[in-house]
Amino acid sequence: MTPKPSSCRAIESDLVATATGEGGATAVRRVTEHVDGCASCREELGRYRAIDTVARGLRDDTPPATDVQASRTALQARLADLRSRVLRYGIVPSPLGNILVARSEHGVTMVEYLGEAQTLSGSRLRNLVDVETVEDSAEIARLRDDLLDFLAGRRRDLGWRLDLRLAGSDFRRAVLEAAVGVPYGAVTSYAAIAKRVGKPGAERAVAQALRWNPLPIVVPCHRIVGSSGKLTGYAGDKLGLKRQLLDIEGVHTQPASRDFRVVREAMYVRAGEDRAYCLPTCGDLPSHTLANLTLIASREGVDALGLEPCSDCRPDLHPLAS
Amino acid sequence: MGLASFDDVVAAHHPEIYRYLRRLTWRAGEADDLAQETFLRAYRAWQGLGPEANVRAWLFAIATNLARNHFRSETRRRRAYVAVGDRRPEAEPSGPEEEHVFRETRALLDRVVAGLPLKQRLAFTLRKVHDLDYGAIGESLECSPDSARAHVFQALKKIRVSLNGHALPTMEPTR
Repeated sequence: MTPKPSSCRAIESDLVATATGEGGATAVRRVTEHVDGCASCREELGRYRAIDTVARGLRDDTPPATDVQASRTALQARLADLRSRVLRYGIVPSPLGNILVARSEHGVTMVEYLGEAQTLSGSRLRNLVDVETVEDSAEIARLRDDLLDFLAGRRRDLGWRLDLRLAGSDFRRAVLEAAVGVPYGAVTSYAAIAKRVGKPGAERAVAQALRWNPLPIVVPCHRIVGSSGKLTGYAGDKLGLKRQLLDIEGVHTQPASRDFRVVREAMYVRAGEDRAYCLPTCGDLPSHTLANLTLIASREGVDALGLEPCSDCRPDLHPLAS
Repeated sequence: MGLASFDDVVAAHHPEIYRYLRRLTWRAGEADDLAQETFLRAYRAWQGLGPEANVRAWLFAIATNLARNHFRSETRRRRAYVAVGDRRPEAEPSGPEEEHVFRETRALLDRVVAGLPLKQRLAFTLRKVHDLDYGAIGESLECSPDSARAHVFQALKKIRVSLNGHALPTMEPTR
């Protein structure tokens, strides 16, 4: 085989580019001038053009529509499964330390105190089975702003849609839902929550359910205390955080034998599901445990619940010092 | 980016991504698996994608990356090559001669492309079948646009050599 002349070799790339419509004006001009005097390259140009035309014809070559549809249907099933399992999370530095916030497509799934940790190591999220975690700070950005506003006292209600899949059981889920019903700036007892979920006397089980609350702050288990008014526990061993959260909401606490207790003398009182609220000194209320009481830190909180002042103690006429 | 909009992404791009992977693997089952994996990966990363991102090029890059991993196996490469060889040209024997030549050439082309080095094969398919620009092809192959162009040109040259001696469709004169 006779080697190509050097002028033909030199122009080969331009020739391919020209044949496939990708040559610039200079390349096209050079090729045009060259093939005018070179029959071999003229033929080569034609062959490349033919190959390019056939190659572009492959665009019309489509797989059977039934195969495409079958693939799409299978994909949608797998996507639905994935969507239900993916938890997107971010880590929010806050006055309470780093807080992990994770959400699914259904709502916020997990809030977890990480302390100083800045990664998932040591997080409960890592131990969840059948869940895929994806770090996604952008997705969590709005939640972060809400959370920081809440912790700064600028926001009373997070208003997040919740996904309680990590509750663990129907009972625990019911406890979490009952805890969500305790309003901002109010405090009630484990015993009262047990009654609300139809399990009077099950305050220990309620306390356990709240100990593993997957959504502290947003499911406000910090508003649930012992019947004596003692704080008793929070998120394992984080009693200090419970005090901080209560303080943000205007609920004061004071030391009480190796614990802290709510200063109930500084709070309005609602008995059971009454539509009235009282001063803490009304009638025999001081002798009641919190088993059937809700304490409310402010008139604003009382008004938010739509309660009427008690006609005996008239808290509207004798408001507590704020 | 909302969850609903990912459904739009699937609707808009799944057929083309499936077609791309089908042409690479020549097997419905493998194309199906790779297409599903492409979109599952895309879903996981979707929320982090910037608003200016070229979603189509991004999906091709994911699919290409998966295809490259898939074809690390010699068995799979061979299977694709055999599968394309089993295809028969669709030309009607009694059809016009020029159409017959065109379809014969296309069948030959498929076979030659299936035997190209993988990067050249991917670059050629992305450029000629899916009309991606060289920037996007470079992103898919993790190389510069110039390298992507060089892969396509190398592929064309090898195809040209492989088709030596075969009749090609007649083209209009260049001028």
